[in-house]
Amino acid sequence: MADFGNLCLFLALATSAWAVVASYNGWRAGLGELVLTAERAVYATWALVFLAVLSLEYCIFADRFDLEYVASYSNRALPRIYKVTALWGGQAGSLLFWEFILITYASLIVLMNRRRNRSLLPLVVTTLLGVSTFFLGLVDFLARPFVRLAFAPEDGNGLNPQLQNPFMAIHPPCLYLGYVGLTLPFAFAMAALATGRLDDSWFRTTRRWTILSWFFLGTGILLGGWWAYVELGWGGYWAWDPVENASLIPWLTCTAFLHSVMIEERKKMLRVWNLSLVIMSFLLAILGTFITRSGVISSVHSFTKSNVGPVFAGFLGFSILASVGLLLHRLPDLKSEHRLDSFVSRESTFLFNNLLLVGAAFAVLWGTLFPILSEAARGVKITVGPPFFNEVMIPIAFALVTLAGICPVIAWRRASPRKLLEKIQIPFWALVGGAGALLLAGVRDVYALVSFSLATFVIATTAMEFYWGARARQRVTGRGLAASLLGLVDRNKRRYGGFVVHLGFILILIGVTGSSAFKQEATASLKRGDGFSVGRYRMVFQDMVSDDNANREFMGARLAIFDGDRPAGTLVPGQNFYKAGQNPSTEVDIRSTLRDDLYLILTGFDPQEGRATLKAYLNPLVNWIWIGGGVLILGAWFAMLPDIRDRRRDAEARLREVESRAA
Amino acid sequence: MAQPISRKVVITVGLLVLGFAVLFSVGLRGSLVYYLTVSEFMDPARKTDLGDNFRVNGIVQPGSIQRAQGAPGARFILTDGARQLPVVYRKEVPDTFVDGSEAVVEGALGADGTFAAVTLLAKCPSKYEAQNRQTNNYRKPAGQGRPGTPTDAGSSSR
Repeated sequence: MADFGNLCLFLALATSAWAVVASYNGWRAGLGELVLTAERAVYATWALVFLAVLSLEYCIFADRFDLEYVASYSNRALPRIYKVTALWGGQAGSLLFWEFILITYASLIVLMNRRRNRSLLPLVVTTLLGVSTFFLGLVDFLARPFVRLAFAPEDGNGLNPQLQNPFMAIHPPCLYLGYVGLTLPFAFAMAALATGRLDDSWFRTTRRWTILSWFFLGTGILLGGWWAYVELGWGGYWAWDPVENASLIPWLTCTAFLHSVMIEERKKMLRVWNLSLVIMSFLLAILGTFITRSGVISSVHSFTKSNVGPVFAGFLGFSILASVGLLLHRLPDLKSEHRLDSFVSRESTFLFNNLLLVGAAFAVLWGTLFPILSEAARGVKITVGPPFFNEVMIPIAFALVTLAGICPVIAWRRASPRKLLEKIQIPFWALVGGAGALLLAGVRDVYALVSFSLATFVIATTAMEFYWGARARQRVTGRGLAASLLGLVDRNKRRYGGFVVHLGFILILIGVTGSSAFKQEATASLKRGDGFSVGRYRMVFQDMVSDDNANREFMGARLAIFDGDRPAGTLVPGQNFYKAGQNPSTEVDIRSTLRDDLYLILTGFDPQEGRATLKAYLNPLVNWIWIGGGVLILGAWFAMLPDIRDRRRDAEARLREVESRAA
Repeated sequence: MAQPISRKVVITVGLLVLGFAVLFSVGLRGSLVYYLTVSEFMDPARKTDLGDNFRVNGIVQPGSIQRAQGAPGARFILTDGARQLPVVYRKEVPDTFVDGSEAVVEGALGADGTFAAVTLLAKCPSKYEAQNRQTNNYRKPAGQGRPGTPTDAGSSSR
C-alpha cells in the first residue's frame, strides 16, 4: 500500500506538471483541445492525490509501523478518530493534506467554470497547478510520507496527546482550508493580470473565494484559541506564538481586501491596491504554512538548516517576482476611474481601515520574523516578546473599532459633517453613558474603559443602522417593523451580514478585554478537606479519582466548588498518562458561565502525603470570545449567501460572454 | 477641489505612518531579547546590550530534574552538549518538560550562577535519534518522551 501511495504521488507530480504546461501553452496558442487536456489532468491529479491520502490512512489504520510516518504519529491503541487526524500530525502528512485540499479546490474551480470565465480559466489552472506541482515536489522528494524504516517497531510512538482533542481534529483542516483557499483569488488575479481582462468578473469570483477562505481562516484561528485554552493548561488562549501569528497575518490582509473591494465595486478605485492585497494574502499564506510546518522561528537553529526552508524561500521569491512583475506590467491599465470625493466620506473610512489592517499585519509580521531578520543582519537571533504585539495591536484595534462605529453612519462620496454629528449623537451618548457606568462600577483600568466604551458605541451605531433601515423600509412597504427588518436584511445579505460580523468582533473584544484586564489566579497545595479561593469561588479538595483505558490512564482531583456559599457542583482537573508516550498531559476542568470561567489545573500530586497541588484562574467574560466567534461565523455565512443582485449580475455576465464569443 | 482633499489624505496617512513608527519603537523597546544556545550564553564575550534578560535554548539533561515539593516548579540543568547551565523555575512546568526534552528558558542569571527562568517552553525529544535505530529500540523507555512534536503544538505549549 505504501508503494502504491508513493507511485500515486509521483504520477500526480507528472499530471500536475502536465496541467501547468498544457494550459499555459494552450492559452498561448489558443488551442482549446490542449486546455481541455489540462483540465482533465487536474481531475487526474485529484484522483491520484486522493488515492495517496487513502493509502496513507490505510497504513495508519493497518498499524504499518515499518513506515516512519505511521510509527512516529500513530500507535495501536490510538482511538479511530485520531488515526484519521494523524494524517496531518506531522510535516510530511500535513503537506500532503495541504496538496489534497489545493487540488480539491482546483478541481472544483474547473468543474464550476466549465461555462464561465473561460478566458481566464487556462491561466487560473496554470497558477493553481503550479502551486500544486511545488507541493507535490515537496512530498515526493523532501518531506516524504511513505518512507520506510529499516525495521518495524512493535508499536508506534502515538499521536502527541495534546493533539488528541476534538478541537484539534477540526482546527488544522479549518486553518488549511483557509490558507489553501487564498491560492484561488491569487490564481484569478494572476490570470486577470496576464490576460488583461481586469473587468468586474474576475474580482466577483475572487471576492467569493476570499470570503470563504477568510471565513475558514478566522474559524481556524478561533478554534486554535479554544484548543489552547482547554488543552494546553496555562489559562490563556493566545500568546503571540509564531504559529498563531502566521495564521493571523494573512487573515488581516484578507480582512482589508474584503473591505476595500467594496470601494472597487462602487467606484473603480484602489484597483492596484486590491490586487496587491490578494497577492500579499497568498504569499503570507505560503509563508504561514512554512512557519507552521518547519518551526524555523521557534528554533534557535539557523534558518538554513531547515530542510524545507530554502526551497520554500525560493518558491516565495519566485512567486513575488512573477506577481509583482505582472502587476507592474499591467499598471497602465489599472488607473482608477474615480478619485476620493471628500475627506469626510465612507470611502475614506475604508481607506483608513485598510491602512490600519495592513499596518497591523506588517507589525505582526515584523515581530514574528524579527529573529530571522536579526540573524541575517547581526548573526544572532533576537526575539520579540508579547509586550511588543500588545503595545502595537491594542491601539490599532481601538482605532479599527472606532472606524467600525463611524462607518455605518457616514455617507458615501461626501458626508455633511452636520448630518454626521446628528447621526452620531445617540451612539456618542451611549459611549459616554457606558464609560460613566463603568467608572461608577469601579473599573479603573484604562484599556478596559476605552475598550468597553468603544464597544457600546459600535453596538449603538450598528443597532441604529438596522433600526433606521427597517423604518425606511416600513414606510415604503407598509408592513410591520419586524417584517421590514427581515426583508431589509434578506435583500442586502452582504451588508447586514457584515454588520453581524462586526458585532461578533465587538463581543470578542469584550471577552478579550475582560479576560486580560481582570484575570485572577491562586495556587494552593491541599490535603483532603482543605480549600482555597479565587474571586467569588471557593474550592474544597475531596478525593482523588482515576480512570483507565487502553490508550491512557487518568488521575484527577475532585473538588467541590462553592460560589459564595452556594454549592456549584464539582470539578475534576487531572492528568492523562498516555501509554504510548509515557508522558502526562494536563487535563484542566472549567466551570464556565457568561460572567467568568473558573479554570482549574492539577499541577502535582503526592500520593504518600495525599497532597494535591492546584492552580486556579478566574477568567472574566472569556465565554464571550467563543460566543462572538459564533456570531461572526453566522454573519459570515449569511453574507456569503447569494443575493438577488448577485444572481442577476452573474446572468448578465454570462450573457455578455456568450455574446462576445458569438461576435 | 481635488487638491486640498488629497493633501488632507496625505497628511492623515503621514500621521498614521508616524503613529505606527512611534508604536513600533516604543513596543520594541523592552521586548527584544537575545536568543542563544547554552554555550553562546555562557560565553563571557557575549553581548549584553539588550538588558539582563535572555532566552536560552538547550536540552534538559536527563536525570537532572528536581521537582519542588508541595510547590510548582523545578531545578534542572540545561545543556547543549558542550556546557551546562543550572536553571530554576518556580511556576507550573509544561507537560512536555521531561528528561531530554528541548527547552527554551527566558529570564536572567542570578548572583549564584543559577539561571532564574520566568518562562519555560519545552518540546519533546526530537524524533528518534540514531541510537534508537541502531538498538532497534523504537519505543523509548518511560520518561524518555514521545516523537517529534508537530510544531503546531510544540511551540505553543507552555
